[in-house]
Amino acid sequence: MSRRAMAVVAGAVLVGVVVVAGMRMAGGTGSSFTAQTTWGEPNLTGVWRAEPLGAGSGRDTFNLAKLEGLYTSEARARMKELSAKDDPTMRCAPPLFPRAAMLGHQVQIIQRPGFAYVFTEAYPVFRIIPTTGRPHTAPQYLFPTYMGDSAARWEGDTLVVDVMSFNGEGWLASASDKPTNASTGVWLTSDALHIVERWRRVDADTLEYQARVEDSSSLTMPWETPTVTFKRQPVERIEEVLCRPEDGPDTYLARLGS
Amino acid sequence: MSVRKLAVMAMLAGSGIAAVALVVAIGASRVSAQIREYKPPKTAPPGADWTKRIEEILPPGVESRAEATARIAAYKPDPAKYPVPRTPWDGKPDFSGVYWPDATVTPPPVALESLYRPDAREYREHGGAAAGLIDWRGIDTPNYHCWPPSPVNGSMGGTVQLVSAPGYLLLLNEGGSNFRIIPIVGENGPKPAASRKPSYQGSSVGHWEGDTLVVEVTNFNGKPWLGNAQPPNRLPQTSSDAMHIVERWSRPDAQVFEHRLVVEDPKMLTAPWTGSTDRRGIVPYDTVQESLCFLDPELDARHREYAAQQAKNKGAAR
Repeated sequence: MSRRAMAVVAGAVLVGVVVVAGMRMAGGTGSSFTAQTTWGEPNLTGVWRAEPLGAGSGRDTFNLAKLEGLYTSEARARMKELSAKDDPTMRCAPPLFPRAAMLGHQVQIIQRPGFAYVFTEAYPVFRIIPTTGRPHTAPQYLFPTYMGDSAARWEGDTLVVDVMSFNGEGWLASASDKPTNASTGVWLTSDALHIVERWRRVDADTLEYQARVEDSSSLTMPWETPTVTFKRQPVERIEEVLCRPEDGPDTYLARLGS
Repeated sequence: MSVRKLAVMAMLAGSGIAAVALVVAIGASRVSAQIREYKPPKTAPPGADWTKRIEEILPPGVESRAEATARIAAYKPDPAKYPVPRTPWDGKPDFSGVYWPDATVTPPPVALESLYRPDAREYREHGGAAAGLIDWRGIDTPNYHCWPPSPVNGSMGGTVQLVSAPGYLLLLNEGGSNFRIIPIVGENGPKPAASRKPSYQGSSVGHWEGDTLVVEVTNFNGKPWLGNAQPPNRLPQTSSDAMHIVERWSRPDAQVFEHRLVVEDPKMLTAPWTGSTDRRGIVPYDTVQESLCFLDPELDARHREYAAQQAKNKGAAR
């Protein structure tokens, strides 16, 4: 083991001791759930699924009317010229989080000391989240992506993930999400997008997710998502999903829960 | 990514679809033209784990794939000098790291082509029509469709990140961003239920035999190719849903990992085929980057139109 790896493990153990000392003990459910991993980080490992969320037919379960009201007039002007076919997922681009959390797909989290890995059934893409509080990728190696660059730290039993370096192509919701009569169903972002996520294991079968979304180029103020409640799924891994244009746009829209 | 897409478009515009088809079909490179190639940094990023042992095998400045591949292939693993890293949770070899490139240490004892069943010929002529590939002499190949890399390469592309985690080995590909989640079961532990849908990368289950991770892969969807076509001489090396692969993953020392496999596919092959032993060297990154593979919609639409016309002509000729 390298010195650095040893330092990470030692650090994780140290953090673990502090976390365990301050942790609300989850449980009483009698399952094999342990509140922390063997090295002492809170345990988010598992396959999780939440009910699909969104807005339409008079219901708004993702606070999207609020988001819509936050777009700048310049962003609105651009959004009026776009439509459902401009949704980047139609070109097989992966949906970013928090959008990926509202689609109702399974999400799998696997941890090792100092890292969490997040996989979804929405698209073959993964997120690598360092959990030691180390800074973002150094600027000379950072380039804009659909899923952004993650840096995280534990606040008690909550994993707080700071995500930046987005490519400005992702949307925050789907074309079918129309919270008001004036909705365009277009949910642009810019490369100034900055997201702070909070992931917390509540008990053996429950994981909570919440995000704060800032985008100084397209939103006048930060937007907060509601808390998404993921439930544990009785499988050891998610399915392989590819985006296949040959299946036709109806199929991928259907897959994205639209 | 847009640069890559532009490059692909420019290439297509410049040299025509046939030329691209030839490049893909020759299979000179396993890397799709659509996938960005790994470029090691000239200098170490600040604070990166750029240790002496890594410099020795792939020093800064080794940027050509050919040179790096030759170095990895010629490398003599030395576990006394570079002890195998082990996980703190079970003491088994820790595969975690970013690796590049793919060097062949031992070639396959027999050529895969020699084991193809003669009666699979018609299926292969159609390039695996069941897989929806209608035009394998043209551009209609697995790479073109952004399918994961072939199971013969462990579904690994150019640059890969391996992650050992309690109960899992994860494989994260940089090119195309596909991943494999390999559950590892104890010697007498229960096997995960094979309830998943058949897939391009199959369903993997690993177990330890000493310090070797043995991974059985089944539940394939019959679409992957085991080797590209080489028109006009070689048909696509198709696979079937009966394919069963046993992979052996090992870490001879801290610098490299090795991967070898045996492929059984009674619907395609007359006997089990032992593949090459491949080796990759660790590079001083702790994560791979997002690098997606997109099928160009306009190009695809033109291609589809062409294929439909071909099918129509064929129907008329009958």
